[in-house]
Amino acid sequence: MGDAIVGVVANPLSGRDIRRLVTQASVFPTAEKANMIQRMLTAFGAVGVHRVLLSTDLGGISAAVFRAIGRRSGQHRGQHGGQHSPWPDVEFLDGQPIRQSAQDTVEAVRRMVTAGARVIVCLGGDGTARVAASAAGEVPMLALSTGTNNVFPAVREATVAGLAAGLVATGAVPADAVTSQAKLLEARAGERVEIALVDVAVSTERHVGARAVWDPATVSQLFCAFAEPDAIGLSSILGQLLPVARHEPHGVTARMTPGAARQVLAPIAPGLVVPVGVSEVERMAPGSVHPVDARAGVIAVDGERELTFEPGEYPTVRLRPDGPRCVDVPAVLAMSARLGLLRRTGPNV
Amino acid sequence: MTDTVERKALTGEQLLSAYRAMRTIREFEERVHAEFATGDIPGFVHLYAGEEASAVGVCSNLDDRDTIASTHRGHGHCIARGVDVGEMMAEIYGRSTGSCHGKGGSMHIADLSKGMLGANGIVGGGPPLICGTALAAKIKGTGGVSVAFFGDGGSNQGTTLESMNLASVWNLPAIFVAENNGYAETTSSTWSVASDNIADRAAGFGMPGVILDGFDFFAVHEAASEAIARARDGGGPTLIEMKFTRYFGHFEGDQQTYRADEVARARAELDCLKRFADRTVQTGELAQADLDAVDAEVAALIDQAVDSAKAAPLPTEADLLTDVYLRY
Repeated sequence: MGDAIVGVVANPLSGRDIRRLVTQASVFPTAEKANMIQRMLTAFGAVGVHRVLLSTDLGGISAAVFRAIGRRSGQHRGQHGGQHSPWPDVEFLDGQPIRQSAQDTVEAVRRMVTAGARVIVCLGGDGTARVAASAAGEVPMLALSTGTNNVFPAVREATVAGLAAGLVATGAVPADAVTSQAKLLEARAGERVEIALVDVAVSTERHVGARAVWDPATVSQLFCAFAEPDAIGLSSILGQLLPVARHEPHGVTARMTPGAARQVLAPIAPGLVVPVGVSEVERMAPGSVHPVDARAGVIAVDGERELTFEPGEYPTVRLRPDGPRCVDVPAVLAMSARLGLLRRTGPNV
Repeated sequence: MTDTVERKALTGEQLLSAYRAMRTIREFEERVHAEFATGDIPGFVHLYAGEEASAVGVCSNLDDRDTIASTHRGHGHCIARGVDVGEMMAEIYGRSTGSCHGKGGSMHIADLSKGMLGANGIVGGGPPLICGTALAAKIKGTGGVSVAFFGDGGSNQGTTLESMNLASVWNLPAIFVAENNGYAETTSSTWSVASDNIADRAAGFGMPGVILDGFDFFAVHEAASEAIARARDGGGPTLIEMKFTRYFGHFEGDQQTYRADEVARARAELDCLKRFADRTVQTGELAQADLDAVDAEVAALIDQAVDSAKAAPLPTEADLLTDVYLRY
C-alpha cells in the first residue's frame, strides 16, 4: 500500500445553528456532504491517491459513503463493471466513541496526522476548520465550505478540490510551492485558550447559549486575522474600513459602539445587512497582544461563542503567524497545467 | 445597553424560576422512578429526566395566550407549563384528585386552563393539535403561539410531517420541537431517521430548522425565544431539534439492552441542572444558597405530592360515566 494518503473530516452538525432562524442562512444537507466526499474520491482515484482516511459520525455522512462504496463494489461485479474510475481504499476512522462534539473532529484529525496523511480535507464551516486546524500541525489543510456563512473555507466544487488535494498528496505537485501558512488569533482567558482563523469577537452576552453571534449590538470588540471587503460575517465590517488580506502579516482590530458616529453597513450573516457602529480601528502587529476591554462576557471565535470570562480574568487576544498550512487550490491546478500533470496522449489512455 | 441585549438577558428571578422548574421535573421523575418500582403505580410511565432544559427553555418563553401539546413522555412539559404537581402525581396514581380525575394516568395528563393540551399516548399525536390551536389564535388575533413537542419516533410519523406542511402553508404561529433523545423506544434514530438530522426536514417545508444542545438551557431559551417571537410576529413556524439523552429507559422496566452506558457520561458531563447551576453561580447571577433552598423546597413539594396521592381516593364506579363525550 502506497503512502499517498488523504484525510477527510466532515462535520455532520455544521450549518444547523440559530442563524437558520434569525437570518436566512442556508441548510446544507447531510446527503450533499456525503456526495461531496464521493466526488472527491473520484478525483483522488484519478490522480493516484492510494488511501483515504475518513472521519466517522452519527450524522449519516460516513454511513452514506460506506453504502456508496458497497454499491460500487457490487456494480463492479455486475454488468456495469469497469465503468467507474477506481476509488482509493477508504479507511473509516471508527473504533472511538463518537461524542457528537468538536472533540470528534480533533480526534479524527489527530489520527490522520499520526497515520501519515499528506493533506487533510475539512468539510464544514469556519468552526470546523478552526477545530481541525488545532490538531493538523504541519499537515496541509484544504477547507471546503458546506454553507453560506463561511470566510475561511472556500466555496468550491469538491471534484476540483479533490484533484488539488490528490496532486499534493501524491507529491506530483510539491506541497511547499502551493501551500501557505495562515495567521491565527489566540484568545486567552486565564488558563483557557481558544484559537480563531478569521475573527475573535467580544460579546456582552453572559452565556454561550445558542453559540452563533448574530446580533452585532452585543459585540463590543472585534479582532480579525484578515478582513476581506467581500466577506460574509463579522470580518466584513472591518473589511470595509481597513481591509487586510490573508497573506499580509498584520491583522486589524476595532472597538464597536452601537451609537458611534461611524457606521458600516455590513453583511454580518447571510440575509442580515445591518449598520454597525465602529470606533477606533487599528492594525494588529504580528505577535502583538491586545487586552479585552470588557470585564465579563463571552469571547466568540470565528463567529461562535466559546469562552466565557468573569471579572478579574482579563482576557487577551494575540495575532500569531503560525496558523495552519493551507492548500491553494488554484495554485495547485495552475502548476499542474504548467507541468502537464493532467494531460494524456492518444485516444485510449 | 441596547434593546436587544436587554430583551435577551434573563433576570435573577427568571433564572431561579427556570431552575425551580427543571429541578421540579428532575425530582418528580426520580421519585416516580422509585415509586413505580414498588408496584403501586398503575399503567406505564415514561420519564423525562435528562431532558428538562428543553421543556423549560421553551415554555419559559410562553404566556397565557399559548398552548402546548406533549407526548407519552409528558411530565416535564406539564410541569414546565405550570400544571399542578400534586394533581399530576395523583393522576399518575390513578386517584380521583388527579388532573383528569384519575382516569387518564401518566400518558394523558392535560390541563386546558394552563394551555396544556395533554400528554398523548399516540406517537405524533401532538402536532395536528397545535395546528388547530395555532389556527384559532391566528384567526382570533390573540398573538398566541402553539408548541408541539415530539420525539425522534414522532418525527417519522405522517401526522407530524403533514402538520409541518400545513403550518407552513397556513403560516401558523406553530413551533415544532423535536426532542431527539436518540431512541424511538429501542430503535436508534441514527437508523430510523433517514435525513439523520430531523431539523434538516424543515427546509422541505419552507421553514427554518435549527439544532440545539438540548442539555443547555441557555441555548434552548435563546433559540426558542427567537422562534416564538417570530411566530407571534406572523413569521410562521419553526422546527427546533434538541439533541440529548434520556436518563431512564423508554418506559419504567425497560432493560435498555440496546444502548451502551451513555447515560453515565451525560449525567456527569452534560447534565442540564448541573451546568445551569455551575454557570449561574459562576457569573454571580444566582447564589448557591438560593439554589440549595429551591432544592429543599422542591424535595418537600414532591414528598407532599406523593403522600397526598397515596392518601387520595380512587375513582368510583359512578365516575365511569362522567367526563365522557357520550354515554353509551
